[in-house]
Amino acid sequence: MKTIFEKSEEGQKGYSLPKDFSDFMPDPKYTRKSPLKLPEISELNLMRHFTHLASRNMGIDKNFYPLGSCTMKYNPRINEKAAALSSFSCSHPLSPDALVQGNLEIIFKLIQFLCEAAGFQAGTLLPNAGAQGEFTGIRLIQAYHAKQGNLKDEILVPDNAHGTNPATARMAGYKIIPLKTTSQGDVDLKELLEKVNSRTAGLMLTNPNTVGVFVPSILEVSKIVHSVGGLLYYDGANFNPILMIAEPGAMGFDVMHINLHKTFSTPHGGGGPGSGPVLCHEKLAPFLPVPRVIKDQAVYKVLWDDQESIGHMATFHGNFAVCLKAYLYCLLHGKYGLRKLSEGALINANYLKKGFEKLFTVPFPQPCMHEFVVQADRFLPQGIKASDIAKRLLDYGIHSPTVYFPQIVKECLLIEPTEAESLSTLDHFLEVMQKIAHECETNPEIVKTAPHTQPVTRLDEVKANKELRLIHKD
Amino acid sequence: MDFAANKNKQIEKQLQRIGLSFEELIQAIPKSLQKTAPLLDDGLSEMEGFEAIKKLGAKNTITDYKCYLGAGAYEHYIPAIVSAITSKSEFLTSYTPYQAESSQGYLQAIFEYQTAMANLTDMEVANASAYDGASALAEAVIMAIRIKPERKKVVFSKGINPLYMAVVDQYLQAVQYEKVIADEIEKEINEDTIAIVVQSPNYLGIVEDLEKIKALKGEAIFIVSSNPLSFGIYKTPGELGADIAVGDTQPFGIPLQFGGPYAGYIATLMKHVRQLPGRIIGETVDTEGKRGFVLALQTREQHIRREKATSNICTNQALMALSSLVSILWYGKNGIKELALSNYKRAMYLKTGLEKLGFKTYEKPIFNEFWVGINKIDPFLEAKIVPGHAYNDGLIVAVTETKTQEDLDHYLKVARSLK
Repeated sequence: MKTIFEKSEEGQKGYSLPKDFSDFMPDPKYTRKSPLKLPEISELNLMRHFTHLASRNMGIDKNFYPLGSCTMKYNPRINEKAAALSSFSCSHPLSPDALVQGNLEIIFKLIQFLCEAAGFQAGTLLPNAGAQGEFTGIRLIQAYHAKQGNLKDEILVPDNAHGTNPATARMAGYKIIPLKTTSQGDVDLKELLEKVNSRTAGLMLTNPNTVGVFVPSILEVSKIVHSVGGLLYYDGANFNPILMIAEPGAMGFDVMHINLHKTFSTPHGGGGPGSGPVLCHEKLAPFLPVPRVIKDQAVYKVLWDDQESIGHMATFHGNFAVCLKAYLYCLLHGKYGLRKLSEGALINANYLKKGFEKLFTVPFPQPCMHEFVVQADRFLPQGIKASDIAKRLLDYGIHSPTVYFPQIVKECLLIEPTEAESLSTLDHFLEVMQKIAHECETNPEIVKTAPHTQPVTRLDEVKANKELRLIHKD
Repeated sequence: MDFAANKNKQIEKQLQRIGLSFEELIQAIPKSLQKTAPLLDDGLSEMEGFEAIKKLGAKNTITDYKCYLGAGAYEHYIPAIVSAITSKSEFLTSYTPYQAESSQGYLQAIFEYQTAMANLTDMEVANASAYDGASALAEAVIMAIRIKPERKKVVFSKGINPLYMAVVDQYLQAVQYEKVIADEIEKEINEDTIAIVVQSPNYLGIVEDLEKIKALKGEAIFIVSSNPLSFGIYKTPGELGADIAVGDTQPFGIPLQFGGPYAGYIATLMKHVRQLPGRIIGETVDTEGKRGFVLALQTREQHIRREKATSNICTNQALMALSSLVSILWYGKNGIKELALSNYKRAMYLKTGLEKLGFKTYEKPIFNEFWVGINKIDPFLEAKIVPGHAYNDGLIVAVTETKTQEDLDHYLKVARSLK
């Protein structure tokens, strides 16, 4: 399909502007001389272009999207309607506190609600995404140790952790100590005991972890890490199945981030905007970033500076509009409703897992939490890889599960249905998987060359990386 | 209410098929950690929830005021087509385009965004966006340090938004380098300089004279942080010899929404592309030779490189980048110039008006923002005006196309009353 730059027609335009009322002109010494290479295009053609592009993309509203570790749940439209209200969308982040009491109340109350749900005492909504939440959390751990005078420079990270964990700890200046996952999906306590020492600043753990298993020895892990003065970081990417079932705070975690775009249904938007609020134990609260919202009598105020704070994390107040959507989602559900979500997520995942056991190896056989790993190596003799199966799913109108993550399971598919999917959708998915398994035996070529129904067939990634055509040139 | 699809009837069937009770499903969670399910339904109906949010919105009286706040976030008219496109469910509800064949729409849109940002800044390539302008600047400085590992210091101009500088400090706290904040940057440039970092228009709204830095920069990485709308009329980072151009695309189609979500842009030269953090989309062909788009240069990213990644950034601000792209295209080749000029003319109308009243300003070129020596705010608030952002015993005042002559005359009338 043509790019918008190839659809330019001289003199056409979409814009209109109010008339000017002054004659000032900028000093030519400073003005742009190079041509502005942007298309000229009518509003209708612009609209058609993007409508056409949209039709060349999957989305939750159209397709089942069991993308593991991404929690692709339904995005309620009331949240969008709320965030679009001009009282929120037209408020400037540097407004006087008295004129934005509604915004400040939402920030204050969402932190309070999330803390109660996760078992923590303080928090911040500033981080713009999960990865920035991780960075904030690790910086809190760092600030805490610095204040105590602890010389600690190591962070333990299990090998099944999201790639952001080691990248974040590295960014904060830590040395990464990897930990192996046991065949049960647990932390290897023996290895942990060997690796913790006085230099251990903390352990980053996702629980349930990325193979979909609740770490059964979490209380022992917590005890071991704390025994050397280390702190426990909870990666909240997989928070969905334990909402109102178990609190990270009670498990011994000292700090966590939540992905509002996962657990709290704010739309993923094709890969952002996200929001990664951080919650923590009281002892880390003094180090939380600024600006912070505090309540003084009945009035909310913004604190832009605080001596012990790690400082700023985002330009202003983080992704406020995303937080607002999550806040409404919390209001609608209440704690009662949130529990229904996690129960639904757990049951849906286990139901699918049961169905998959008949088709593929399921390397962690115990009950899963919100997602599970399938080892799709059964058809390797026919030359069919996990990624081929994933691509064949697209032909049936189903988005593929996460493939080749976690890296510790070969030919893996990571499947997360979420609570938003009905039984009929899950059954349909299982039927399709059965069909594909059958195709693998009877017509392997159709799987190996899939997809056949998408706007393009398989794309040449080698060419893309070799030629590096990263912008359109006339 | 809740958005879990299956209710008792289906759940019963599911548990039967699984062959376990719900309690057995969660048996890995130690009993001491298990909470009992709340008995009382404390949720709201959609109608009640929306009413509650509207009530909170009503406490934001800022919308009753004419607002001249800028300093990193700007009030602009947002064309109706922007939300009409960004609310399309394939854009709103999809995820990162891991499966390229079923994500061609988004991949192409972001490829077009990269093109638009590269063309707007006169750079050779742009990434798929960063969280915001501040994190884009921080990532750019880290990028420069990776490009010049043998050098020691980064020279920052004094005119950088202090909130951006605070985020830079946050991101670079673990990085060994010498930080210099200079009044006269030219004097600080030498063989040890990793990067020169300038904001233009700067925090006080002044368009900096960067030709002299272009001439002196030598092998140092030149980073220019800007309000990208200013490139409608002012010289681009490309024309000024920059290596990396960064900023926030909020002025293009993204509402103020109390500070976020916005989107940062990072544009650079092809010779630095392997050090460019974040997602990048590339063009290729499918097995039939049809044009298609994929995530390119993924080996730099955290999900493969883990602790050796160029950045921990996991995604981009796709939907916000799309908002900016649509807005940029709606204005198009001529509209961006006219919009930028309209901002300039209105800001100058107010600035010269205030100068005539005897208020102090800087005699330097500006874009749509300027500093003025007004330190009384209350008379403005009484007149339902938020006159600017208080800074250095004065105000940083932003004027965009949203302000009418009547609005500006009202501002001047209140200012006159202060004299």
